[in-house]
Amino acid sequence: MTQNDTRNVDGDDEQRTDGSETAVSEPTTGSDATSDSLLDASLDVEGGTVPADADTVIEARDLDVFYDDVQALEGVDIEIPENGVTALIGPSGCGKSTFLRSINRMNDLIDAARVDGDLRFEGKNVYDDDVDPVALRRKIGMVFQTPNPFPKSIYDNVAFGLEVQDKADDVDETVHRALERAALLEEVEDQLDSSGLDLSGGQQQRLCIARAIAPDPDVLLMDEPASALDPIATSKIEDLIEDLAEEYTVVIVTHNMQQAARISDKTAVFLTGGELVEFDDTDKIFENPEHERVEDYITGKFG
Amino acid sequence: MATTDDSAGAWFGSDGQVSQLRGLLFKAGCLGATLLALFLVFVFLVYVAVDAIEPGTADPAWWATVAATVAVPAVALAAYYYRYDPRAGEVAYTAVGLPIAATLLAGGVGIVFRHIVSPHEWLALVVAALVAYGALEVHDRVRRAGAFERAAIGAIVLVVTIVGLPGLVPSLRSLILSLPVLPMAPLSLLGTFVVPVALAVGWYVRRERESERAGLIAGGATVAAAALGAVAGPVAGVSWTTWLILTTVVGVPVGLYVERVLSGGEGVSGLALPVALAAGVVVCAVVVETAGFTGPDVWLDWEFLTNAHNRTPREAGIYPALVGSVMMIIVVALAAFPVGVGAAIYLEEYAPTGGLLGSFVELVEINIANLAGVPSVVYGLLGLALFINAGGLQPGIVIVGGLTVALLILPIVIVSAQEAIRAVPDSQRQAAYGMGATRWQTVRTVVLPRAMPGILTGTILALGRAIGETAPLLMVGVAAVVRISPTSFFGLFSAMPRQLYSWAQLAKPDFYHGVLAAGVLVLLIVLLMMNGTAILLRNKYQRRD
Ligand SMILES: Nc1ncnc2c1ncn2[C@@H]1O[C@H](COP(=O)(O)OP(=O)(O)OP(=O)(O)O)[C@@H](O)[C@H]1O
Ligand SMILES: [Mg+2]
Repeated sequence: MTQNDTRNVDGDDEQRTDGSETAVSEPTTGSDATSDSLLDASLDVEGGTVPADADTVIEARDLDVFYDDVQALEGVDIEIPENGVTALIGPSGCGKSTFLRSINRMNDLIDAARVDGDLRFEGKNVYDDDVDPVALRRKIGMVFQTPNPFPKSIYDNVAFGLEVQDKADDVDETVHRALERAALLEEVEDQLDSSGLDLSGGQQQRLCIARAIAPDPDVLLMDEPASALDPIATSKIEDLIEDLAEEYTVVIVTHNMQQAARISDKTAVFLTGGELVEFDDTDKIFENPEHERVEDYITGKFG
Repeated sequence: MATTDDSAGAWFGSDGQVSQLRGLLFKAGCLGATLLALFLVFVFLVYVAVDAIEPGTADPAWWATVAATVAVPAVALAAYYYRYDPRAGEVAYTAVGLPIAATLLAGGVGIVFRHIVSPHEWLALVVAALVAYGALEVHDRVRRAGAFERAAIGAIVLVVTIVGLPGLVPSLRSLILSLPVLPMAPLSLLGTFVVPVALAVGWYVRRERESERAGLIAGGATVAAAALGAVAGPVAGVSWTTWLILTTVVGVPVGLYVERVLSGGEGVSGLALPVALAAGVVVCAVVVETAGFTGPDVWLDWEFLTNAHNRTPREAGIYPALVGSVMMIIVVALAAFPVGVGAAIYLEEYAPTGGLLGSFVELVEINIANLAGVPSVVYGLLGLALFINAGGLQPGIVIVGGLTVALLILPIVIVSAQEAIRAVPDSQRQAAYGMGATRWQTVRTVVLPRAMPGILTGTILALGRAIGETAPLLMVGVAAVVRISPTSFFGLFSAMPRQLYSWAQLAKPDFYHGVLAAGVLVLLIVLLMMNGTAILLRNKYQRRD
């Protein structure tokens, strides 16, 4: 996408205010086969597993994030409901990972990063002085964009969280269950003592998922957890996510529209500039988005 | 099309050649520099070796015998391995190198037990440590206490068992030492040195082989071989203690290695090289003895290693200086490693990075790097001012020399440890923090294990530098000649480089040629061993990433 496109879209955006419904119905005309299938996929979603009045567990109010002078997120307002899957989509570099990191305060580790505004987890602003980021991260697990297993055995990798969080009862059982849920146990069952680095990229990704779910966090943040997986593993991970969503809140970044449409209940669309342009029920976003820019993005016209 | 400038001609053949003249010249220049450096070092080594060995003093027949019995078979075998069986070649060089390195190490262990901790003191230390450990375990069983209480109990137990309160409570260690009857020295060593080694060997073998029995056999054989020395030692003409150290430090690793090669079945023919060398040496000795050929008058011989300095060059030796160097290196390592690594961890993992404090930290880091380049004489002066003038310690004792040299290598240790810590990828830290690890947990379980090989490599190289330092020792008054090895860390000592320096100043040519050259060789061999260890360590762990 070029600079020009962005400006055009911005221009359209300003005109939108009066008659958004009409503006939305048009753009599909020029779209190709892929976008059709996308919309088809979105139609298959059994809409709204999340009750409309679900409790909000993560809430951002006017959240800005800067890296030195560069603003990566601009005035993000979002209410992520409890027990459900929220997908974050948007073009590369629009701030999805940044938003994810600001939820569990991983941005604290980046010297250049600065956060303004409110980010509430269970009603408490996580950037308050009396919040211990370590305790926060024990409630909010994370799977990173690039797999980063430790140079330890597979077993020790999965047991890491249990060890540091002092959750010592029945480590064996927990490790096996986590590997099982991450669709990895079958492949590694008899090499649990070998190094996690000896696995393939996709296996490492699942190992990291197992590691994140083992200590049983309340919220799971996943940054493109299926980017290196084949369709079978991907569908297993998607099953896992749906499964997890019954008890946990899952926030997932994905570049795969079908995936977002398939698994998420809510979808947030970020666009270049770090702006959260639209946040709504997934079916609504994919079938009938409010903003033309969003429509363009998910139909592949832009980005 | 990227390889041709001229689009008119063909892209191959003479038309298609891209000029590489400058590249070739550059390559030749680099090669020349490399060769020059290697040549200079080589010439120096040959010069020193000739001085130390004096090959001209031997019968030509003697050299012919050595060549025929030792050199030719070895070269022939090496050529065979190179040509037909590289795997056996690897085995062969390890099988020759391992015993040599292990023997040198055994020498070090021998020096430690002879001059630094006597077998009885070692016994007392081990028993006291065991009691301390047992007490901690019992305390842990009885109540699951918090970290603070555990640390406090640990400190108390250590004081009671090992340190004691001076003048008030004698420690368990000193109580044991004051017992009227103690087991004789070799028996103490058997119990407190051989048995732990045997346990470690048994554990290792059991894990490698996944067989309880193999572990038991390995451990049992270690103890049995050492115990056998009570009878076999005197027969072979060495003391039981020597025998015991030799079997554990040399016999165990060599035995394990040979056994592994034999049972692995790969490159077994490599074991022929050490056998051929040993047989060659024996045959050579017999032939030389019966035919009466005189060998070279080498300076670097057993007497040189075990004698003190003497006015007659032939009698002069390096032993007290060798012991002094070993003791000094222990002080240096104990002082520089924890302080240096601690500072590096702080600077890399904890120090503030932004704002005014961050700039200050950066300034400190730059200055530490600069300190690494400060001439060693200056550190000598610093040591003189700090430890002797201000600290009131006696000049020329081990601890002063060691601490001064530790100051000298501290910046090197810090910088190399910092580099090793920085080389741990940030994604690893993120993974740990993302799992809810505290900073301490991250450092302990993720950063340090991964950085440790690099830290150790850097530290060993720095210790190599420390062992050769002369100027700081001159400044803190280390004696030119010491005839008795130091018996404690507060005793007067001389170190190898200091001894070499004084030999170089003596008027007799035999000193500044022969004796000096032999000393240089000893120093170089020790250095080579240390650097070799560092390189092995680095290679072993580099492969894993
Ligand atoms: N550590 C950092 N230091 C400085 N700038 C950063 C840093 N991380 C991200 N940025 C900037 O913030 C913006 C948003 O980055 P972010 O990683 O959140 O994008 P993203 O939406 O996750 O992209 P992708 O889909 O490619 O992963 C980018 O412009 C990027 O250059
Ligand atoms: Mg990202």
